[in-house]
Amino acid sequence: MWYRSASFILDRQHQQQNDTVTNPDSRPLSPSSSAMATENPNPSISMYYQTRAAHHGVVTSDWLAQAQAAVGGNSDDAVSDNCVSGGDEECKGFSVVDEFNNWRKQPDLAEAVAAIRALASVIRSSQATTMMELEIELKKASDSLKSWDTTSISLTAGCDLFMRYVTRTSALEYEDFNSAKSRLLERAEKFGEISYKARRIIAMLSQDFIFDGCTILVHGFSRVVLEVLRTAAQNKKLFRVFCTEGRPDRTGLRLSNELAKLDVPVKLLIDSAVAYSMDEVDMVFVGADGVVESGGIINMMGTYQIALVAKSMNKPVYVAAESYKFARLYPLDQKDMVPALRPIDFGVPIPSKVEVETSARDYTPPQYLTLLFTDLGVLTPSVVSDELIQLYL
Amino acid sequence: MPDVQSMVNEFVIKLKKRKVEGSKSTAKLTAELLRSFISQQRLPHSNQAGALIDAVKAVGEKLIAANPVELAVGNVVRRVLHIIREEDLSLTTAAVGGLSLAAESDDENDTEQDDHPVLSATAVAAAARNALRPPSLQTLLEDIPHSAVAPPTSSSGGDSEGKSKSADKNSMTRKLKHNVIEAVNELIQEISTCHEQIAEQAVEHIHHNEVILTLGSSRTVMEFLCAAKEKKRSFRVFVAEGAPRYQGHAFAKELAGRGLQTTVITDSAVFAMISRVNMVIVGAHAVMANGGVIAPVGLNMVALAAQRHAVPFVVLAGVHKLCPLYPHNPEVLLNELKSPSELLDFGEFSDCLDVGSGTGSPLLHVVNPAFDYVPPNLVNLFITDTGGHNPSYIYRLIADYYSADDLVVRRKSAS
Repeated sequence: MWYRSASFILDRQHQQQNDTVTNPDSRPLSPSSSAMATENPNPSISMYYQTRAAHHGVVTSDWLAQAQAAVGGNSDDAVSDNCVSGGDEECKGFSVVDEFNNWRKQPDLAEAVAAIRALASVIRSSQATTMMELEIELKKASDSLKSWDTTSISLTAGCDLFMRYVTRTSALEYEDFNSAKSRLLERAEKFGEISYKARRIIAMLSQDFIFDGCTILVHGFSRVVLEVLRTAAQNKKLFRVFCTEGRPDRTGLRLSNELAKLDVPVKLLIDSAVAYSMDEVDMVFVGADGVVESGGIINMMGTYQIALVAKSMNKPVYVAAESYKFARLYPLDQKDMVPALRPIDFGVPIPSKVEVETSARDYTPPQYLTLLFTDLGVLTPSVVSDELIQLYL
Repeated sequence: MPDVQSMVNEFVIKLKKRKVEGSKSTAKLTAELLRSFISQQRLPHSNQAGALIDAVKAVGEKLIAANPVELAVGNVVRRVLHIIREEDLSLTTAAVGGLSLAAESDDENDTEQDDHPVLSATAVAAAARNALRPPSLQTLLEDIPHSAVAPPTSSSGGDSEGKSKSADKNSMTRKLKHNVIEAVNELIQEISTCHEQIAEQAVEHIHHNEVILTLGSSRTVMEFLCAAKEKKRSFRVFVAEGAPRYQGHAFAKELAGRGLQTTVITDSAVFAMISRVNMVIVGAHAVMANGGVIAPVGLNMVALAAQRHAVPFVVLAGVHKLCPLYPHNPEVLLNELKSPSELLDFGEFSDCLDVGSGTGSPLLHVVNPAFDYVPPNLVNLFITDTGGHNPSYIYRLIADYYSADDLVVRRKSAS
């Protein structure tokens, strides 16, 4: 465990002293980070979790100001920065990343849908005349998208899925270039529909598992989980929901608001009260930012400990996730992922000598999960790798 | 020839009265009933497969409702539906092949039209193939049009057939039915020979001087053990008696009769004996899609004891016991409460059970559940007709034997 060794900590302290205040690059290793033209200007803050917080979080205004200060007001810079840096490869008046960020601002649009819409706009504005050219162009665009926000798993998975479709679909083989192009565009447009349909399917599949009188623990805010609970409420099921607060962006508050609107009895817990209330809970329901090849999930910080507590008390942990979140990753442990960091508000000023764990997500290994509800059906964790191998091999 | 409908009703009543029990006999009877049902079913000229599927579904629904706990009924109905879909597919792909050939021969006359039919024919074939497979990531982006394409598949096939030859169409009607019945026959054959298939693998699992523990009685386990015995393996069998029905007694008697060294123990002695056991081999009532097992009552206890002493827990199950559903609350929903007469003799507790005395409700209750749910993490190996499988692999078998459409539709109509 090199990152826990004393020399590593010393190195890091040394590095942090050298860093400028405005851009505290705490990534331990960032080789050639400035080499990419469309590199995220501020890699220390996860764009993905910032967006989530903006959409689903309940944040106070002074916290926002703090976060803004921490980011260094880069949201305005980023756009101009991009266009300037994209200049050497002829700035066509638009960039994938901008397009993606525009789509991403819509709160109801899933991340992968935004990615695929962005890639569709690449096809639309493409000057390519052959399939090969288009493929290369798309590859470039998806690579720049992926490197723009390495922390977003569904962005990566969405890009991979679409690229896989473009390169390997047999249906495109017989057609001439223009109709193939329009078919691709049509599919990309419909992906939003697919995503919505997936949520409906998941909600239908999970209904059997929610029985009258049960208590469900949910963590953070997840659109799929909300859809599941909403469908259950519409089906006149009687159940109770425990919502964790979901620090630091407090996405759990948002979920409890939504559930209260549906007249579902809700109880809010602080994140540390999970073990305390686990004996009352019948099942744990979580969403996922990404489902990895081992069948485990990557989700908002705190999911792992909830799963551990649930396992030790023999409660089932159900994951609701759309299949386009399946990602070709195989994290070996918690630190084996691109760090996704975000600012955390502690309410009081933290002395500079105190280190703060700002990671936004954790990895829950498959042995702690009971079942995954996806639009491909109810799956055990081991099925996930099978699906991924079928697709990408 | 007896009326099919009355046959169905008769079987439904039998199921309801629990006159037929045991997954194997139920599965076989269901398959035979469906075979005669299909053979007497009149099919319309267009979209025969769809009509046949609807008809079988309607019957299947009745049968499943008659005894929802007997999962083998539903399994066989789904298998038959899958068979119909498969046969229909193989026929349409053959027809489509002929179609595209015809189009190619046409193309000398008329060039601009030929490009389209060839494409659509291959697309239709691809879509039909996709329809059989369970949904996957691969079809995620492709799958929106396939639902739109699927209904025209059969009708367009019918149209073009009608255009070419009406005699051909007639033969195709008969062909589908014939093929389906042939396949259902194979299924029946498979159900009745599953013991032998499983027993063939016995020598791979049972070794010299081993001690095997089993609970209650199971035909499959009996064949399995005897097959190992026939291959000159010498081993000992502990038989837990399997209260309250004590089928273990008869089982032990038969084993001893076949020349196996047998020891009878009480159910409560399982934990005491498990440290001397090399392997637990049991039969199952049903295997769920997550690898969990619905088994005769008492087996969860055995599984827990086996896990405590790291003894392999092996479940023998014919393919007809694979159920494509996921268990939710299986201890209650997939259980059956049997008559208390198995526990108590008549009149033994009559004073406590007397409803008329005092409060009006009896002080003593007798509950006699038939099944246990063994979660997948307690099972080490499943041995089916097709070989040994890990619990996490069961979903794969289910994907092979059932089509995804049938699970959802069935559940929706059942609820």
